[in-house]
Amino acid sequence: MTPGGRDAASPLIRLKGVSKAFAGIRVVKDVDFDVRPGEVHALMGENGAGKSTLIKIIAGVHPHDGGTIEIGGEPVSHLTPREARRRGVAVVYQELLLFPELTVAENVFLGHAPRTGWRGLDWPEMRRRTRALLDSLDSPDLDVDTKVGALSVANRQRVEIAKALSQDARVLIMDEPTAALAEADVVRLMAVVKRLRERGVGIIYVSHRLPEIFELADRVTVLRDGALIGTRPIGEVTAQSLVAMMVGREIDHLYPKSEIAPGETLLEVRNLSHGRKVRDISFALRRGEILGVAGLVGSGRTELALTLFGITPASSGEILVSGKPVRIGSPRDARAHGIAYVPEDRGLQGLVKPMTIAQNVSMASLERVRRGIMMRFAEETRRAAAAIKAIGIRARGPGQVVGQLSGGNQQKVVLAKWLETAPQILIMDEPTRGIDVGAKAEIHQLMTKLAGEGMGIIMISSELPEVLGMSDRVLVINNGQLVRTLERGEATAESVGAAMADARREEAA
Amino acid sequence: MTAEAQTLGRREQSWFGRLFAGYGQEIIILGAILLLFVVVWSINPRFISPNNLNTIFSGNAYIAVAAIGMSMVIITGNIDVSVGALIGVLATIAGTIAVSGYPVWVAWTAPILIGIAVNFLVGVLVAYARIPSIVVTLGMLSILRGGLISVTGGAWISNLPPEFLLAQQRPLGIPAPIYFMVGLTILAAFWMRYSAFGRSIYAVGGNPEAARAAGIPIERRIVQVFMIHGAFAGLATILFATQLQVIQSTVPPNLELTVITASVIGGVSILGGSGTVIGSTLAAILFAAIGSALIFVGISAYWLRAVIGLLILATVLADMARRRQAK
Amino acid sequence: MNWKAILRHETILAILVVLALVVLAAQSDRFFTPENLLNQGRLMTEVGLVAIIMTFVIATGGIDLSVGSILGLVAILIGVFWQNLGLPLEAAIGLGLVVGTLAGLFNGFIITRFGVPPLIATLATLALYRGLAEGISEARSVRGYPDWFYVLGQGQVLGVPTQLWILGLVAILAAIVLGLTSWGRATYAIGSNETAARFSGIRVDRVKMAIYAASGFAASLAAVIFVSRVSTTRSDMGTGLELDAITAVVLGGTSIFGGRGTIIGTVLGLIMVQALKNGLSLAGVRGDGTIVLIGAVLILTILISNLFHRDGNR
Repeated sequence: MTPGGRDAASPLIRLKGVSKAFAGIRVVKDVDFDVRPGEVHALMGENGAGKSTLIKIIAGVHPHDGGTIEIGGEPVSHLTPREARRRGVAVVYQELLLFPELTVAENVFLGHAPRTGWRGLDWPEMRRRTRALLDSLDSPDLDVDTKVGALSVANRQRVEIAKALSQDARVLIMDEPTAALAEADVVRLMAVVKRLRERGVGIIYVSHRLPEIFELADRVTVLRDGALIGTRPIGEVTAQSLVAMMVGREIDHLYPKSEIAPGETLLEVRNLSHGRKVRDISFALRRGEILGVAGLVGSGRTELALTLFGITPASSGEILVSGKPVRIGSPRDARAHGIAYVPEDRGLQGLVKPMTIAQNVSMASLERVRRGIMMRFAEETRRAAAAIKAIGIRARGPGQVVGQLSGGNQQKVVLAKWLETAPQILIMDEPTRGIDVGAKAEIHQLMTKLAGEGMGIIMISSELPEVLGMSDRVLVINNGQLVRTLERGEATAESVGAAMADARREEAA
Repeated sequence: MTAEAQTLGRREQSWFGRLFAGYGQEIIILGAILLLFVVVWSINPRFISPNNLNTIFSGNAYIAVAAIGMSMVIITGNIDVSVGALIGVLATIAGTIAVSGYPVWVAWTAPILIGIAVNFLVGVLVAYARIPSIVVTLGMLSILRGGLISVTGGAWISNLPPEFLLAQQRPLGIPAPIYFMVGLTILAAFWMRYSAFGRSIYAVGGNPEAARAAGIPIERRIVQVFMIHGAFAGLATILFATQLQVIQSTVPPNLELTVITASVIGGVSILGGSGTVIGSTLAAILFAAIGSALIFVGISAYWLRAVIGLLILATVLADMARRRQAK
Repeated sequence: MNWKAILRHETILAILVVLALVVLAAQSDRFFTPENLLNQGRLMTEVGLVAIIMTFVIATGGIDLSVGSILGLVAILIGVFWQNLGLPLEAAIGLGLVVGTLAGLFNGFIITRFGVPPLIATLATLALYRGLAEGISEARSVRGYPDWFYVLGQGQVLGVPTQLWILGLVAILAAIVLGLTSWGRATYAIGSNETAARFSGIRVDRVKMAIYAASGFAASLAAVIFVSRVSTTRSDMGTGLELDAITAVVLGGTSIFGGRGTIIGTVLGLIMVQALKNGLSLAGVRGDGTIVLIGAVLILTILISNLFHRDGNR
């Protein structure tokens, strides 16, 4: 039962010279990789570096083209998802692969449920074992009979982990497990990961977040352009050297924020309310200012943005743009008043992925690329080409389909779309989520540049370092209310974090 | 320990509660049926005469049976618009076999087997050739409809052997189709709720990618569900074709739409991943009862379909409103 | 999906259409004659009008099953307005077109305001509109329209059937709107990702309402032409029309999931279906046999098209 017992150093899984090509393009090149019992092995790299493909090879989703894979010392020639699971490899995917209509217990045991004699499902046993697994994950509050669709992201993730453990996983792959989590849940998750490590489980941990890597990992492997750059014990690397390994060059400063004296008030919000998530919020945004909005997931940050943008129009309160009261009942109204919104969910709300860059860039400003009702395709292409150049989108040209771009470049397309409307007020919701380090820095530079040109930017982010690094002022939202406003000087991890948590406690009491 | 016991006591539902959990839509429809019977009975007591009840329950049992298979197909995220034409073809085949002197069981088994075979083909085209099911079944609709007319030339089949007429038999005084409807519904409901295969149908429709990662062979499962649907179409055919002394070369117009409507009103989400066959059977009964009730309260036969259309619309809108509130 | 890939399905279909025409012409010397071809154009107008607007509906990711019933309802209403209410025929037709358009608008209203999936919404109104047609007509048919009315369905202008001019005009207008205007762009955007379209400030609900209303209008126009062609109105007119129209649209390469499709494709699909029906019956195949073949052609074309872009996103 204790895999570490026999020989702690012998790897649970070992890849040698593994390669993979899609349509002739090699996305994983000759990679060596191994995981030992009881270690957290971080896998890092920019988007498109081949991390996802590598873990899918290990999980048996993609067959590898070259090289060898050994699991538990035995070579495996043809790995399928089923075979991988049988050999104790389990994955907690980034986009959680659960069934919203099934209960927690069913999700945990789907595909390997305990049976009664007549091949029926043994429900009591299934529920009992799920209960035990969840309790071992410090989640006694999770009901095994709830439908998964009703759970929060953090709870769904616990269900995923329970599912992996229910299969006696010895190798657990976690693909960006904290990408969608609030700080408090991240802390809880890390405790779970440490506990699993103590049990001798080997964990492959994919993440962009450096602090987590330094807290959790024993070793770290960096991929770039599909190739192995290196595997190092965590003690031998620094944040700076890891980033350099990932992007292949030094990144000068992570948060390129320049000090600007803010100008006149662009946007003023008075007693804004919508439902229970936006309650009586008042603040002002000045020209050239970056206003950070912090808060836990579900605190009402995004709802505030949606209300300002007209998706869920305000039920009461006032919005003033450049001193004049305006009514914002739809995104069209918002656009007419110079408000732009780069949404939280890029794939769903930001982009039409099967369409080209040019078609996406013009989508919010069709009136600029048409005469009467007729489209001016040449003008559309010209404007898109100009935007590609101005923002630094790496693409073949305006005719390339957006779905083929990397996350960072997709985000730049969304930004380009809104810059085409010449906004005065730019709301960015999680502007760098799921984006690699290089592109992240570029987005931050763009934000600084736009603010310098006189735009007012509202930046909503779950990443505290980003909020602290980029903002002139920080608003802390909790339970739909604005609980604190902090100037750049007074905003620290402690002060913002305390404001986020304090209010919650008050609410609970 | 005590904390956990508390949690368990608070969180875990009773066995009884779990049995009825998730049947909201079904209970609403059942209520609607009961209400309808009480109201129409008070207006016109002949509504619950044995003869009329027979028409409502027995005469429409085949729609409920076909809707069981349809519900499974819709739960996987697919649809079948060819089932009406299929039932027509299978009825003709069964009738032809019956009058050609083969034993009755051959005439009864043939539609089931052929239904499975036809839908095997549909399933393969949907799952492996990745053609959207609405396209495949639209094509199949043309093929079956055209095939039926060109083979029969519109002629009816008569002189059916009496023992072939299963739907007219009444064991214990209750028409045979009712046994089929109730039995098959309960069987399918249990199977879909408690068997691993049944649960995996929901998984395929709810989140195909996750189902694949969980090791469920999605393509094979879709083909299997279509084949099961074909079997239910065959069973429905037997009930439909043995009602009268003759088999017509046509089925009621828009039969496939009636079957789909029963599934959807019964609570099967058109987007896949949820719903039960108890709901679809109840919905089939409800619509049969409404049709009959309209006659008994004295609405002109010409306006029947308009009223039914209005009721479908009202049900759909009420259902949407309910789902919105739930969110 | 780039433009080349979109055109590829149409190219395959165009080759298939030419092949079918050649084969059918070789089968019967009565097929490739101007009279026959023009007459076929006459027969395909009603489905054609509906299919052209259905292309927009399906490109937004929707579907309209109620078109056949709208056709039946409008046909009945024209007869009733003219004969029973004594309105001038012109006014009766105008009123019929208005009611049909409103019926389409009602579909759009249910779909956008209540969030009912289009398949379900139009399934319900399919029953409702057909039921209204039956209730209003009470199985009576209306005949004996004035002679001028038959020009529309049975007459010719410059040697070409009147309704073919209408179909051509509608097709060209629709092709321009879908391919070259910002409305067409909005249609595709909604079909590919409705949420992103909404977040981009596109008036999603308004566009959809307009498209469903246009679908109702096309079905009403088809009703007028149908009545004029067959000289009578009955309440079961247009039964099954929705499936014929959807077949032509899907055959023409419009993705049933939305976001992709062209009017040229739909027109090719229509020609294919009509040529097969006619050519085969001339070659001695019974009418019902051709329906079988159309079903098979629908499945095969999509199959072949799928094989050509195996790794396409759909």
